[in-house]
Amino acid sequence: MTTYAATTETGMPRRKSFWDIILSERYFKWTLIVPLLITLAAFMLYPTFYSLYYVFMRFVPLKEASVFVGLDNLRFVLHHPHFLGDMANTFAVLVGCLIVELVLGMLIALLFSREFRGQNLIRGLCLLPLLMSPLIMSMVWGYLLQFDYGFMNQILSKVLQLPKVVWWGPTMAKVSVILLTSWQWTPFTVFVLVAGLRSLPKDAFEAARVDGAGAWYTFRRLTLPMLSPLIVIIVMLRSMWLMRLFDPLYGTTRGGAGTESVDYLLYRTAFSYFDIGQACTIAIIALFLTLIFSFILYRQLMHALGVIK
Amino acid sequence: MKIRVTTVLFWIATVVIVLGFIFPILWIFLTAFKARADILSTEFSKLLIFSPTLDNFRYVFAWTLFPKELLNTFIITVGSTILVMLFSLPAAYSFARWNTGEGHLLFITISTRMFPGIVAAIPFFFAFKAAGLSDTHIGVILLQYYFNISFATFLMYGFFREISIELEQAAMVDGYGRMDILRRIIFPLIAPGAAIVAVFCLVFTWNEFLFSLLFTHHVARTLSVGLSLFWGSLEIQWGPMCAAGAMAVVPTLVAAWFMQRYIVRGLTFGAVKG
Repeated sequence: MTTYAATTETGMPRRKSFWDIILSERYFKWTLIVPLLITLAAFMLYPTFYSLYYVFMRFVPLKEASVFVGLDNLRFVLHHPHFLGDMANTFAVLVGCLIVELVLGMLIALLFSREFRGQNLIRGLCLLPLLMSPLIMSMVWGYLLQFDYGFMNQILSKVLQLPKVVWWGPTMAKVSVILLTSWQWTPFTVFVLVAGLRSLPKDAFEAARVDGAGAWYTFRRLTLPMLSPLIVIIVMLRSMWLMRLFDPLYGTTRGGAGTESVDYLLYRTAFSYFDIGQACTIAIIALFLTLIFSFILYRQLMHALGVIK
Repeated sequence: MKIRVTTVLFWIATVVIVLGFIFPILWIFLTAFKARADILSTEFSKLLIFSPTLDNFRYVFAWTLFPKELLNTFIITVGSTILVMLFSLPAAYSFARWNTGEGHLLFITISTRMFPGIVAAIPFFFAFKAAGLSDTHIGVILLQYYFNISFATFLMYGFFREISIELEQAAMVDGYGRMDILRRIIFPLIAPGAAIVAVFCLVFTWNEFLFSLLFTHHVARTLSVGLSLFWGSLEIQWGPMCAAGAMAVVPTLVAAWFMQRYIVRGLTFGAVKG
């Protein structure tokens, strides 16, 4: 092992320089990690403490100086006409997307579970939605679902002879958001589940087949339990991302028609009304909810990576 | 004959699925070449049958800052990715090789990715204003760097863990120094993984919207912010929006080709290997 105990030419030990210390066996691992730690501290701790501070302050920049108001912000946010509704919206879209993505994703994954000719091309095409800019795609979906001349309504009215749907109206807007979000993310579920299905042990299924188990029974009793760790990871990751719903709303309803999410409310409160006190209060609540999720997710991820048993 | 029927059904289903996934993307390219009248037409045949025009592209180049936005996005994307790689590689190596922080630090790292971006944006909005970083490339690069660093570190960590410690120990026995090991053994082995992580960062930054929206205005405005401006006060300019969007998604389409084998791994932070 290399040691960096520096000696002068005469053999007399000299004082260790800064470089000797940070490159020494003992400290090298910390040297490597310091830039990351500084980044995390700057970008996470600072906003957290900033938000915690302004929870108790009334602060509207350029308008008034910040004043200590105790728990007024919290009281106001909890009675805010939109806050609880926006929580419910976020939750509804989250659950809707999870259901669509999991069911549809599972069906498609089962279809693609065996190796087949041309699978690289199919995989390449199916992954495209995942890599598209959510903002651009939401604007395109806004166009596809437009009432008068949008593609969907044209098909509905001209081909299927059905009445047109007001996609971006109060009743359907959430469904439209779910539609475009799950369009973009179903491939994710498909890819993860296909990876899982292809790595399942073959002999268990062989045994089930020999015993005369039906397809549905095999799926419910064998496939599903074996895939459950992956499903948990999908649910956790997707929940985490769906809680941050913003781009699809900005590209379509701009928070109107009963689609506003918590993050969108935060955006409006902080950057349209510049009510920093209230924004920070909402932020702290959002942060707290996220933290719960991240704790659960952490164990799953670490387990999957083999860090903890 | 039974096999033939299932094969045919399989391919019908496959074509329907693939069409469903790529249709909205194709629609961008189709709409980009449509005249305004055809876009707003309620005639069914106009959906697919129309005389193509380049008017939308002309409009984009004549009336918007598209070339500048493209350059800005390029600078920000490349700049932040370089920063991310510079700092995530050593950190991930440290985590993988010495288990630095016994997992706690890894947890803090990964939780950055769950930290609501908008929450971070509030204090930085004012701090950047005060520091003169608002609407500058450096400012956005820093934010995008933060946005991707935890993800990149976590994914790199997975790649580093695949390199066995015995390899390093053998090299040490042979008298290699720490730096030699990094340069001659670790780096060649990790290069393909690092390339994948870099492509992920490039795509994520290219598509990122929230920070760009809040922190760029005229000087450093990115493509996604420019695109959101086609939503005007009177109408949404679908044609020019799709023309600009079609040009903006081309790099991601290219990236998709490189990433297809690693997409599962990338999006699950390395927890699931596809």
